[in-house]
Amino acid sequence: MAQVQARLQALSEEFTKLQKDLQDVVQSRQKLEAQKQENLGVQKEFSKLKDDETIYKLIGPVLLKQDRVDAESTVNGRLEFISKEISRLETQIKEVQTKMEKKKDEIVQVQTAAQGAA
Amino acid sequence: MNRRMLSREDEEAAGEEIEVRREDQDKINKFSRLHQHELSLEEELKLKNKEKEELDDITTELELADDDDIVPYKIGDAFFHVTLPQAQEMLGVSGAKVEEEISELEDKLGTIRQEMTQLKVELYARFGKTINLET
Repeated sequence: MAQVQARLQALSEEFTKLQKDLQDVVQSRQKLEAQKQENLGVQKEFSKLKDDETIYKLIGPVLLKQDRVDAESTVNGRLEFISKEISRLETQIKEVQTKMEKKKDEIVQVQTAAQGAA
Repeated sequence: MNRRMLSREDEEAAGEEIEVRREDQDKINKFSRLHQHELSLEEELKLKNKEKEELDDITTELELADDDDIVPYKIGDAFFHVTLPQAQEMLGVSGAKVEEEISELEDKLGTIRQEMTQLKVELYARFGKTINLET
């Protein structure tokens, strides 16, 4: 009897850990989404610029002139990286969710078996 | 969250439960307060360090700029056109101020950590395995 209790306790703790893992990955994914939107906004602004307009970057309290080509390629590069990261995290999210389902099944199995034996 | 709870054997081995006196509870509460303060100071320190890094970055960048360039310098919500030497001086002043703030924070953090270590010694001496003060 105590063995079943201990097993259920362990499984329950494992499930809680998976829940936390899921929470963490989802949070990271949300952060990336925000960064993606911000960079898309900047990209849009860039596309509206006339040839004689200057781009500045805020570093600390100073607005530093940026080379247009450099600035555009930096933003494009960032967006590419963010997209890759988002795909990677979405795969991770699905994996954790699958693990959680399996863990749930395990718990139900142990509980049913315990009831059957009682 | 790491819950380091006693296993059945540990609980039995711990023997008689030690009484929690008023002074013990006070120490536990103080430890908790200090820990919270430590966390908030660490957050602040992180921000200040980031600020310092940005100031250092822009100082380096400006060294490469033309002497007759106009530098848009942010003060509050507005930008002021200043000369390069002026901007560099203002950055120097800000940088020194942030460094001082960082130093103060590190001192405070040091004191708090010392106090926490002392409390740990006292509480572990009294309660041993039956208390968990790991953060």
